[in-house]
Amino acid sequence: MHLVPPVSRDRIISQFPKWYTPEACLQFKEHFHAQVRTACQWSTGTLGLKISKVVVVGDLYVGKTSLINRFCKDNFDRDYKATIGVDFEIERFEIIGVPYNLQIWDTAGQEKFKCIASAYYRGAEVIITVFDLADIRTLDHTKQWLEDALKENEPDSSFVFLVGTKKDLVSDAVCERTELDAIRFANEMQAEYWSVSAKTGENVKQFFSRVAALAFEQSVIKELENSAGHMAQIGTGNLIKLEKNVMEIPEGNTQISLGCC
Amino acid sequence: MAAATAPGPRALGEEGGGSTAASALSMEQIQSLTDLADLEAAYSRLCEEEKVVQEELDTLLEQQSTIENKMVALHRMGPNLQLIEGDAQQLAGMITFTCNLAENVSSKVRQLDLAKNRLYQAIQRADDILDLKFCMDGVQTALRNEDYEQAAAHIHRYLSLDKSVIELSRQGKEGGIIDANLKLLQEAEQRLKTIVTEKFDAAMKQGDLPQVERFFKIFPLLGLHEEGLSKFSEYLCKQVANKAEENLQLVMGTDLSDRRAAVIFADTLTLLFEGIARVVETHQPIVETYYGPGRLYTLIKHLQVECDQQVEKVVDKFIKERDYHRQFQQVQNSMMRSSSAEKIEPRELDPILTEVTLMNARSELYLRFIKRRIISDFEVGDSMASEEVKQEHQIYLDKLLNNCLLSRTMQELIGYYITMEEYFMRETVNKAVAMDSYEKGQLTSSMVDDVFYIVKKCIGRALSSSSIDCLCAMINHSTTELESDFREVLYNKLKQGFPATTFQDFQRGVTSAVNIMHSSLQQGKFDTKGIESTDEAKQSFLVTLNNVEVCSENIMTLKKTLESDCSKLLSQGFGGEQAQAKIDSCLADMAAVSNKFRDLLQEGLNELNSTAIKPQVKPWINLFLSVSHNIEEEEFSDYEANDPWVQQFIVNLEQQMTEFKAGLSPVIYDTLTGLMTSLIAIELEKVLLKSTFSRLGGLQFDKELRSLIAYLTTVTTWTIRDKFARLSQMATILNLERVTEILDYWGPNSGPLTWRLTPAEVRQVLALRIDFRSEDIKRLRL
Repeated sequence: MHLVPPVSRDRIISQFPKWYTPEACLQFKEHFHAQVRTACQWSTGTLGLKISKVVVVGDLYVGKTSLINRFCKDNFDRDYKATIGVDFEIERFEIIGVPYNLQIWDTAGQEKFKCIASAYYRGAEVIITVFDLADIRTLDHTKQWLEDALKENEPDSSFVFLVGTKKDLVSDAVCERTELDAIRFANEMQAEYWSVSAKTGENVKQFFSRVAALAFEQSVIKELENSAGHMAQIGTGNLIKLEKNVMEIPEGNTQISLGCC
Repeated sequence: MAAATAPGPRALGEEGGGSTAASALSMEQIQSLTDLADLEAAYSRLCEEEKVVQEELDTLLEQQSTIENKMVALHRMGPNLQLIEGDAQQLAGMITFTCNLAENVSSKVRQLDLAKNRLYQAIQRADDILDLKFCMDGVQTALRNEDYEQAAAHIHRYLSLDKSVIELSRQGKEGGIIDANLKLLQEAEQRLKTIVTEKFDAAMKQGDLPQVERFFKIFPLLGLHEEGLSKFSEYLCKQVANKAEENLQLVMGTDLSDRRAAVIFADTLTLLFEGIARVVETHQPIVETYYGPGRLYTLIKHLQVECDQQVEKVVDKFIKERDYHRQFQQVQNSMMRSSSAEKIEPRELDPILTEVTLMNARSELYLRFIKRRIISDFEVGDSMASEEVKQEHQIYLDKLLNNCLLSRTMQELIGYYITMEEYFMRETVNKAVAMDSYEKGQLTSSMVDDVFYIVKKCIGRALSSSSIDCLCAMINHSTTELESDFREVLYNKLKQGFPATTFQDFQRGVTSAVNIMHSSLQQGKFDTKGIESTDEAKQSFLVTLNNVEVCSENIMTLKKTLESDCSKLLSQGFGGEQAQAKIDSCLADMAAVSNKFRDLLQEGLNELNSTAIKPQVKPWINLFLSVSHNIEEEEFSDYEANDPWVQQFIVNLEQQMTEFKAGLSPVIYDTLTGLMTSLIAIELEKVLLKSTFSRLGGLQFDKELRSLIAYLTTVTTWTIRDKFARLSQMATILNLERVTEILDYWGPNSGPLTWRLTPAEVRQVLALRIDFRSEDIKRLRL
C-alpha cells in the first residue's frame, strides 16, 4: 500500500455549495441528502473511491483549458495554445469525509479535432458547455455541442452545466444582459448556469465545488440504490434492517453526548 | 567583612552582660531576689555563664597569634606589590610599541601588494598590447596566406581581450599606434567575416562538405554562433531536401505491385526521418565541439523547418494519391445516412488505415528521438544554469515539438483516421453479425470470435500509431460499439426467449403437428418447419447465452492485453504526463462493459429458468401431492419396492438437464443448475406444506429428500446443502416420535444446528403430522 498525500484544504467540502443563480440551477437543496450523509458517515471504507467523469466542451478560444488550469493549477496563461485532441486532469476532493476524484477531460474546440475529441464524450457524469461572455455567437453554438455530447451518453445520466467565461472582459451591464440570454439557453438545455473568469479566478472554485458536490451525491445515491437491489437478492430483508437500527442508535448517542459537552 | 561582623552581636552581648547585665539575669532581678533557692539558682546560672564567657575568651586569645602572623605576612608583601605595578606599566608600554610597529609593517606590505597587482596588470596589459600587435600581424599574414583558421584564431584572441584594457591602452602615449592597430584588426575581422561567409556559401553551392565543415568551424571563433549554425543548417536542409525530392520521385515511379506499395508513403516519411536523424547523429559531435553544448536545439530548429516542408509535400501527395479526404467524406456520409446504397466498403479502407497509423508511428518515433537528443544536450549545457533558464529551454522544446507542422499535420490525419477506423469497425462488426453461423458441437457461434477479432484489430491498429490520444479514442469507440450495438444484438436474440416445450407445449405441438399434417395432406406435402424452427430457436437461445458469457470474458482478456501493451508503449517514453491516467480511465470503462454482459447473462438465465425449467419442474413436483404420505407399514414397504415419485422426478430432471448440459458452457450450466436447485427447494416446500404425513410418511419423505439431494449434489459443483436446509429441517420434524421431542433439538439443545425455521413454521410443520395433537403443538414452548 502506498500513502497518498492528504487532500488539500480547499478541496474539502462539508457544506453543500450554493448555486450561482436561482433562475438556472439544477438543485435548490442547501444540504446533502440525509441518506447520503449517513451512508458517508457510517460506511467510510466500504464505499469505494468514487470517480466521476467530467467532459468540457465548447467553441475554440472560449477558455475551456484556462478554466481548468485556473482550478487545477491556479495559474493563467495569457497566450492562447490550442488544445490538441484531449487534455486530462484528475482533481482530488474530500466531500463530507469521503475521498472523491473528478476526472476532467478537456476537449479541443477546433473543428478538425472534433473526430478525436468526440470519442471521449461517452460515460460523462457531468457535461460542461462553455461559451465566451464577450462573444455571443459562442453561446449559440453551445446547444450543438451539448447535443453532440449527449448523443454518446445515456439519456438523463449526466448533469449539464452552462458556463460563461471571461467575465473580466465585459462590463457589468453587458454581463447582465448576456446572462439573461444564457439563462434562457440554460433552461432549454436543462443546465445550471455559471459566470466565471479564469483570469481573475472569480467563481471558478465555487463552480467546480458545486460540480463535485452534485456529481458526488449522485454517484453515492446510485451506489446505494444498486447495493440495496443487490442485497435484496442475496440476503433476507431482515438483515439489512437490523444493520440500519444498529447504525441509527449510535448516531443518536453521539448527538446527545455532543450536547452534553 | 563577614568575619568582622559575625562576632559582632556576641561582643555586644558580652559588653551588655558586663554593664547592663544583659545576661540571662538582670541586676534588678538579682537584687529583687529574696528567696535562697532562687538566689542559688541565679548564682549557678551566673557561674555557668561566666564559664562559657571564659571559654570564649580563651579561644579568641588562642587565635591571636595566628592573626598576628598573618598581619606580619601582609606587611611584608606591601613592597612587592609596588614592584608588580611598575612591571605591568612597562609591559603595557611595550605592547603599544609592538602594535604600532606591526601596523607600520603591514601597511607597507599592503602597499607592496597593491604595487604587485598593478605590476601584474601592467604586464597583462603589455602582454595584451603585444598580443594585439601579434594578432594584427598574424591576421595579416594569415589572411595573405589564406590560412583562415589561423586568422580566425587571432581574431578570437582579439575578441577575448578585455575591451576596457584596450580602451585604456589607447589613451596611453602610444595611443596613436594602438589605435591604428585596432583599426586594422577590426578591418581584418570584418574582412574575415565576409570572406568566411563567402567561402562557406561557395562551398555550400558546390556541395563541398570538407570546405563547408572547415568554415563552419570558423564561425564560432568570430563570435558568429547563431549565423554559423543557421548557415550550416541551411546546407544540411538542402541536402535533406534533395534526398527527400529523390525519394518522392521514386515513390511516384513505384509499381503498384511492389511489396511495399501499400505503405509507400509511410516508407517515404521513414526515409525522410531517418535521413534527418542521421544528419543530427553525424553532425552533433562537431556542433558540440566547436559551438559548445546546448546548441543542438538551434540546429534542429532550423532542420525542423525543412522537415516540416518535406513532410507537407509527402502528406499532400499521400492525400492526393490515396484520395484520403474524399474517402473520409464518403465515410462521413455513410455514417450520416443509413442507406446502404452508396456505402463505402470497409475492406477498402483497410490499407489506408494501416498506412496512416504507420505514418503517425514513424512521426512519433522521430519526435521522440529529437526530444531525447535536445533534452540531453540541454542537460549538459544547462548544468550550471539557473532554474529559470532550464524552464525556458523546456518551454522552447515543448513549443518546437507541439507546434511544428509535422505534429499538426499528423494530428489532422489521425483525426480523420479515427472516424474512418470507427466506421471500419462498426461496419465490419455488422457484417460479422450478419454472417453469423453456428456449427454443431460448438458452444458459441462465429460472430463472437469475429467481432472480437475485429475490435482487437482496430484497437491494435490505433495502438500501432503510438499516439495515446488516438488509442484512447479507439478504446472508447470499441467500448461503445460493444456496449450498445453488439450487446443490443445479443439482447434482442435473448428477448425472443426460449421456446417452451413438452407437456403444455407438447400438446400444442401435437395439435399443430396434426394441423400441419392436415394441411400438408391437403396440399400433398409434409412440412416439419414448425418443429424444426422451435429446435433452432432453442439452440439459438443457448448459443446466445454462451456468446454473452464469452463476450464478458473476452472483454476482460482484451483489457488485460491492452494494459500490458500500453505499459510497454509508455515505458518506451511515448505519451505525455497524463497518458497513464487517460488509458486507465478508458480501460476501466471497457471493463465495466464486461459486467453489463454478465448482467445480460443473468437476465437470460432467469428467462431460461422461468420459461423452460419452471413450467416443467413445477408439475413434476406437484405430482408429490398425488402420492399419499399418510401411510402404514404395508404401503411403506410397497413404496420401497415401487417408488411412487422421486425416482421418476430425478429421471425427468436428468433428461431435461442433458439438453442444457450439452448446449451450455460449464459455467453457465452450473449457474443454471443452481437456479434450478433453488426453484426445486422452493416449490417442494410449497407442496410439502399442502400434504399430510403419518409417522412412516415422514420417514418416506426423509428418504425421498435424501435421494433428491444426493442426485442434485452429483450434478452441481456448488454445495446445495444450504438451499435444502429448510427442507431437511422440515423432514427432521416430520420424523419425530412425539411432539415434545422437538425440544431435544430446539433452543439450547440445538447444538451445531442453526434453525432456518421460525417457531411458527415449526408448529405449522408439526401440524402436518396427523398423529400429533394440535393441543400438544399449541402447548409447545418454543
